[in-house]
Parts: sequence; C-alpha cells; structure tokens
Amino acid sequence: MALKKLRDMLDKKEISAVELTEQYLDKIEKADKSINSYITVCAEGALEDAKKAQEKIDAGSANAFTGIPISVKDNICTMNVKTTCASKMLEDFVPPYDATVMEKLKKSNIVMLGKTNMDEFAMGGSSQTSYFGGVKNPYDLSRVTGGSSGGAAASVAGGLCAAALGSDTGGSVRQPASFCGVTGLKPTYGAVSRWGLIAFASSLDQIGVIAKSAEDTGYLLNGIYGYDANDATSSKKSEGGYTSLIGSDISGIKIGVPKEFFGDGLNDEVKQAVLSAAEYYKKLGCELVEVSLPSLEYAVSAYYLISSAEAASNLSRFDGIKYGTRSGLGDDYNDLIKNSRREGFGNEVKRRIMLGNYALCSGYYDAYYKNATRIRTQIRSEYKEIFEKCSLLLTPTAPTTAYKIGEQENDPVKMYLADIYTVTVNIAGLPAISTTCGYDKNGMPIGMSLIGKPFDEKTVISVCDRFERDFDKREAAL
Amino acid sequence: MFNSELTKHLAELSKLEFTDEELDKMTEDMTDIIAIMDKVCGFDTSKPAYALDAVDYNDLRADAHTNSYPTDKITANAKNVKNNSFVVPKVV
Repeated sequence: MALKKLRDMLDKKEISAVELTEQYLDKIEKADKSINSYITVCAEGALEDAKKAQEKIDAGSANAFTGIPISVKDNICTMNVKTTCASKMLEDFVPPYDATVMEKLKKSNIVMLGKTNMDEFAMGGSSQTSYFGGVKNPYDLSRVTGGSSGGAAASVAGGLCAAALGSDTGGSVRQPASFCGVTGLKPTYGAVSRWGLIAFASSLDQIGVIAKSAEDTGYLLNGIYGYDANDATSSKKSEGGYTSLIGSDISGIKIGVPKEFFGDGLNDEVKQAVLSAAEYYKKLGCELVEVSLPSLEYAVSAYYLISSAEAASNLSRFDGIKYGTRSGLGDDYNDLIKNSRREGFGNEVKRRIMLGNYALCSGYYDAYYKNATRIRTQIRSEYKEIFEKCSLLLTPTAPTTAYKIGEQENDPVKMYLADIYTVTVNIAGLPAISTTCGYDKNGMPIGMSLIGKPFDEKTVISVCDRFERDFDKREAAL
Repeated sequence: MFNSELTKHLAELSKLEFTDEELDKMTEDMTDIIAIMDKVCGFDTSKPAYALDAVDYNDLRADAHTNSYPTDKITANAKNVKNNSFVVPKVV
C-alpha cells in the first residue's frame, strides 16, 4: 500500500499504528522463513515505537512518518539494536548511537520493524554472501534478490514492510530493486548524510530508499535528506519536496539514451523492455536523444579499484580488539589481528581488501589506482556533456534479470562485470532510480533506470512515477 | 603476473592469514580479477587530470569541545576489557 494511503488511514484512525505494526510483524513471522530478508526482527521495539506513534497521532501532532513501519539495512547503525553488516565480524555489534537518518526518522516516530539482510559489508550483487544465509527472491524462491540491499528489496517486494532504507555504493539499491520488482532510489552523493552508515567506499557510498513506487521513494527521502555536520561530504544543496513534481506535464523533456548501455552483453528481453519504455516516453511527448558515454568500457575496473582501495582502508579498523570478532588464537598483537580478521571476514570481503591493497601498493599505484581516478574524472566530464543535451538518461539497470541461486555468485569476475550499468552513477555521484518496466519469460521483473542531474531527484522521481502509473505491475506471490 | 608470493605480500599488508589451500585459491581468484582491472592500464592518460579529491567537502566541524560517548558504552562491544581499557597481547 502507498505510504500516502497508509498516512491517511492512520490519521483517519481507520487503523492504529499498533495494529498496522502487528500486521507487518505477523507477515514477517509467517513469510520471512522462506526469503530470509531480515537478520534481526525488532518485534518488541517496533510495538513500543508504534505505541508512541499512536500517542502522537491521537494528540494530533503526527507528521508524514509517524507510525509508518519500515525496514533498515543492517549496515545502518541503530542504537541498542544489533548492526551486523551481515558479517561474522560484527555478529554481536550493538551501536552506541543512531545513524543520522535514523535520528531523523525516530524524531518523527517512525516504526523500525527490523534490520535487513545483505551481502557482507555491502560487497556483492546477490545477497548470498551474508554470514546469516542468503536472501531469496519473493518472485521465485530459487532465484537471487540481487544485492547488496537484497533483504531490503525482498522485504518490500514480499510486503514485509511499507518501505526500506538501503545503501548504494555501486548499484546496491537499484539492482536488487530491479531483480525484486520494486523501486529503488539512489540519491545524489551528499544528499543524505552517511553518518552511521558503516563505511565501505566513502567516496561512493550513499544511503537510499527502496519502496513500492517512485512516489514512495520520494516520500521517504523527504524524511532523511539534508546537511549534517557529522558528515563533511553531506551537502547544503538539497531542497527537499521530492514529490512536488509528481503529476506535472513531462512532455518536452529530453531523455538521453546512451548507446553503450545497449550493446553486447545485454539480455535481449531486458533490451526490448527498456526500449519499449523509451517508446512510451516518446508517445507522451518526451524527446529521445541518442547520447554517448564512451568511457563506460573502463567503468567496472575503475569502480572496483577505487571502491576496493577505500574498503581496504575503511575495513582496517576491524581488528577484533575494540569491537567485533576476537580470535582465541594468536600470542602476539599481529597474530591476534590476523586471526580475528581471518575468522571474521568472508571470502568476498577478503578478495576486496586484497584487491584494494594491490591497487594502493607501491609499484602498482600509478598504473591502477591513479588511472582509475583519471577515469572517474573522465566519466564525470562525459556525464556533464550529456546533461547539456538532455535532462535524464534511460538505461537498463542490470544486464539480466534475477538468476538462479548458485548460478553466478561464486564467480567474482562474472559478478563484477554485471555491475556495468550501475557503477557510473556512483562514480559521478548522480541520482538514479530503478523501476520495473517488464517481465521476462520466467515472470521475473526487468528493471530500467532513470539517471538525473546532481540534486535533481524531483525530475527523476516524477518521470519515473509517470511510467509506473501506466505500467501493469505484477505483485510477488509470497 | 600474479603469483603466490604477491598474494602472501598482500595478505601481510591486509592483515589476513591464509592456509596453503586458501592461498592457492586466492591467487587463482586474484589472477582472474586483475585481468579485468588491467583494462585501466590502457586508458589514455593524457586526457583528464589526476584528481584525488573526488568529493566536495562542506564546512568542517568547529574545533570545539563536545561530550563523547560514555566509556562503558564504547567498551561494551569489546570481547576483552579491563579497568575501562581494551586488553591486548603484551607488545613490549
């Protein structure tokens, strides 16, 4: 159900915040065994949140989020609630503070149903690398959800929350949204504070929103955006009002179609569905413009070198001493740290740390890390040129739809290459949204992305919303 | 060329420990991964400038005293704590 509709029902007392929360908790109890979208369910805390929310509603002082039940990705710090990053390393970690996004939403008396499953430390595109077991796709339990915010996307698709907070470093909100048939918004870098988001790659990480519709993503973004003194990279440019352009006339808008996104490696059904969406916009009076991002061919390598280099540095804090898994092995300081990290991290995390240190290593730094940053500059400049010709870009979100569990996620090279259509958005710090634009022969959702100019989430959301209003969406049968 | 010596060197830098079998698998994986990363070496470096600072920074916080978190909350997540301090193996 749409967040606006839920708000209306709560305000009109058609349902109480406690009843609404109980309904979601019941569904989680019954259905989450089959998809494993939550790592921690906060039944007691959620009911407490709901009681407080109802008091606000009864007193006539509710705001947009009071009593709305959401899920939160398990790499976003929540005070007194375990935040594991889906890793053995942080299996028992209980943050002593809230992430800024949680502080903001708690002030509005939002209800947190629980913490969602993900790829360990957000490194992956399948949500199968979690220490707590993989997540299954609500559309087909034999298939992956995508990742890394797979639990968030599955919790929304399965109706186990009204909306979800996720994070997106290279596509981790948009790709699982695409695989699970929901809508995922990655805001502009700096639009939402990263304070309390456990760092993976600090120049690329961004908290985002997954919901049933573009309108709902904008609705929730209104509650979390804004400058934060605790995050020096958060911006003062965001203005809010993210749903304000919904319903406005979109005819005349120029939509760029970058030719490199429709070449070899793109599944034919995905290609046809995205091109049909382009035709839909054309019929509405939008102008389709062919554009080019020539450096796309370098994007995956540049992204993995930069993100892994930052990860190697960010994850050096996990030594097993201050927090996290502490090994019983090791007689000296060095051995204790090595054994704790050996026991605490999974294979993909270890690969990324190794790759990051390779890129930063003397003798390799110039050829790899330095060149990757040059490519980042080049990609940014190509996007700048593109946005002189159009307001938005339309692309596929992923080369394929959700694949069978076990089919691809054990091959790191295949997994990395599958990020081709999402990583440039993080490299350039742009806002982008993914929504469903079709279904393949197996009934799995196909995702398309709309990429916008920096801080122009309003246009991205309204143009996406226009498509969703006419699209015949199929719900997951969970 | 990626080999087990390089894997051992990176493991040392990464503060990671591998068994011989794990080391072989990691060397194999890294060989495949670096083959994709080699793509960046072919980029025309005369084009864009090298830009280390990819993000815009806003005002840094004022250099002022603020309250920190209580010690017991900070140490609550550590497995070995004594007298409000983290316990580590003897270094010297």
